[in-house]
Amino acid sequence: MRRFDKTCLLACSACLAVPGLARAQSINYAALQETMGEPVTTSVTGKPQRASETPASVTIVTRDQIARSPARDVPGLLKTYAGVDVNRWTAGQSDVALRGGVQAYNARLLVLVNGRQVYLDHYGMTNWNLLGVQLEEIQQIELVRGPASALFGFNAASAVVNIITVGAIDQAMVSGAAELGTHGYDRLSAVVALPLADGVGLKLSAGQQRENERAIPAGLYQPPRAIDPRRKDVSGTLDAALDDRTRVTLEGTYARNRQLEFLPSQLITEQRFEAESAGVTLDHDTGWGSVSARGYINWLDAGYGVGLEANGAYSVGGLTSTEFHNRTAVAQGSALVRLGRDNAARLGVEYRNNRLSAETLFAPSIAYDLVAGSGMLEVHPSDRVALTVAARVDRLSLHENGAPVQPAASTAADYERSYTQLSFNAAALYDLSDGGQLRVNGGRGVQSPSLVAYGYRLPLNGFPVPFPVLLTGDPAIRPVPVWSVEAGYARAVGDALRLSATGFYTRTSGAIASPGTAPAFQLQTGAAPVLVARFANIGDYETYGVEIDAEGAIAPRLRWRANYTLTETDQGFSTAGDQGVSYPVAPEDTTPRYKANAALDYDGDRWFGSLVGRYTSASRQFAFTRTQQLVLGPVDDAVALDAKVGLRLSARLAVTLAGENLTVADSTAGSPIPADTRLRAGLGLSF
Amino acid sequence: MAITFEPGNALSEADAAALERAIGKGLSAGRATIRSKRVPVSSLGGLNGTRAVFVTSGLRQEQASIAAAASRLSVPTISADLDCVQAGRCVVGIRSTPRVEIIVNRAAARAANIRFGSAFLMLVKEI
Repeated sequence: MRRFDKTCLLACSACLAVPGLARAQSINYAALQETMGEPVTTSVTGKPQRASETPASVTIVTRDQIARSPARDVPGLLKTYAGVDVNRWTAGQSDVALRGGVQAYNARLLVLVNGRQVYLDHYGMTNWNLLGVQLEEIQQIELVRGPASALFGFNAASAVVNIITVGAIDQAMVSGAAELGTHGYDRLSAVVALPLADGVGLKLSAGQQRENERAIPAGLYQPPRAIDPRRKDVSGTLDAALDDRTRVTLEGTYARNRQLEFLPSQLITEQRFEAESAGVTLDHDTGWGSVSARGYINWLDAGYGVGLEANGAYSVGGLTSTEFHNRTAVAQGSALVRLGRDNAARLGVEYRNNRLSAETLFAPSIAYDLVAGSGMLEVHPSDRVALTVAARVDRLSLHENGAPVQPAASTAADYERSYTQLSFNAAALYDLSDGGQLRVNGGRGVQSPSLVAYGYRLPLNGFPVPFPVLLTGDPAIRPVPVWSVEAGYARAVGDALRLSATGFYTRTSGAIASPGTAPAFQLQTGAAPVLVARFANIGDYETYGVEIDAEGAIAPRLRWRANYTLTETDQGFSTAGDQGVSYPVAPEDTTPRYKANAALDYDGDRWFGSLVGRYTSASRQFAFTRTQQLVLGPVDDAVALDAKVGLRLSARLAVTLAGENLTVADSTAGSPIPADTRLRAGLGLSF
Repeated sequence: MAITFEPGNALSEADAAALERAIGKGLSAGRATIRSKRVPVSSLGGLNGTRAVFVTSGLRQEQASIAAAASRLSVPTISADLDCVQAGRCVVGIRSTPRVEIIVNRAAARAANIRFGSAFLMLVKEI
């Protein structure tokens, strides 16, 4: 007798005109995951693909996994997967790096929410407390390893994280969480998605979180005041199906956050961020494929070094606080075309205007315009072989607006600069007769210099020279190409076991860094000589290694997963010497060589939870000492245990107890500031 | 969803019973709920008002008439019997082990005037 499981029946539902699943083009990720028995993503090629069929190394963290995880934010969710380094520098500031290159303000990971950039262009970084997304509204987190600039453009240089939220039109939901914990932790969140009319849905979400800052060791530099990190955010989405082929989405987000951060210079300062975003997306399905158009604007007000003048604590060069105002306007269009039964092509265009205003710039504002064209082709020469090529050309035109601030280290003409960059990806997948799959892929991604790296200008005091001394950006700084090649093998043995192994190599050329305490000053002669320390391309480095993943089921409701990562780093430059640190970037020291994670995940009728063990080998990280010397200090290896247990009191209500770093491993944060153990209890509501 | 079956055909009746058990009083799929009703192959007029037709196994002789009836109503025929799809008498075929595979017969879909979204078609095998 045949047995029909839920997956089979949900596949039937695909034929019942379930909105967003079989007919409308916009992806209903939840329904497709249930239908296909695995998550579906568009973050690799722009085409919907099953996670097991993507031409790149991909991890998708699902909604159910998020609910059971002990993590309290997105970096915490990502840190247990292969190839991922998460450095929680302070209680609020985290950086996520893929396949090496650990540094504060990592600029090579592009982070998106539903395809909209939340990566901040002013400094080239991601503030994970400024995403404007609640954990309870995340449908899945897609992590694509390796360069993806051919699809997403600049800054998808080493990887992409695309956070997909629950659609406003797909299902009605009310979800919320309230958590209290040690170290002053509390978090509130609420998500409501309601149908307003047939084919029209509204989703609103809001949340706040705060906790105490960790104790900064007495031997390290003490910021003027130890503020505690906080965030508050609210967002809204209006989804409307104009007909069974066309869908329009309006989105708006407001988020604010304050926290202590290690800057790229490695100074710890207090930052305050306020971000808004507004956008519209139009998807239309056709007989030959689909077309999409999107426009959005991100605004950012960022206060750096808040309170410095009042407290007068930083004597290093007389640094002052800075207010940055960044506006990023993006217009995108794409067409996805089915070529016959098995093949597909994608064409895309993009225009972007990015403007940064501040008093500490070469001119009142620094900006660039960018136009790009991209294409992707996927073909299946046979049932077992899939070939994918993708390429994108970006043309960036830099300029400044307003009279240069004097004394200046560059001329206005230096900022009238354009350049063109090519990104590409290529991949081959081969299904073996034993059920395994071989993958060979590679590409070239590009990190764009940040607007600060182009146009920063800060007078420094206290130098015994008869010239003005400036810390500046450099209009001639070069974009950073990241080359990557990898080979992987994956095999599933029923539902009980899935294995994968990937070997990778990446080369980063001309890594960008801000000056440290002993930069190479240049005397610029002329009518008004100035001594200048600039942001610079400091050199190349390579990373290579292996990532091994395994997951399976011990019992129908008890699953396990484990992974191991070896990352070797060869750095072709030296930044730390007897005279101090010229540039605080040293990936060979800051990237741990070994990482291993193991997790158990249980989902019963009433009880649920997970247990995660993490090992990270030793590294060295930059920090200012109490005497304001910048040093590379040791961060020991660490074994940490995180856990969460939950009890469903009813179908709609659950209580949870979670703890991070239960083994009190000081070094597990990968920061000069030791980690502590944080516990929390929560109440979750969902219906 | 209509479950077409042949009374007295053990294979067909077993399929129908298994499907009914799995659906129960209704199975949620996003904002939709799947509910089933049995329709004997001798009374295909009972397909009126349904959104899809599931073709149970063991109905090789009746597949053509089921396909014709469903096509007149412009509703898709679905089956776990992949031969039905290969033969162009069912629009959608489903296999759930060792992994989910969905097969769509383009000619059968066109004959029934059924259009699938391009995102869906990019995830399935079209023949």
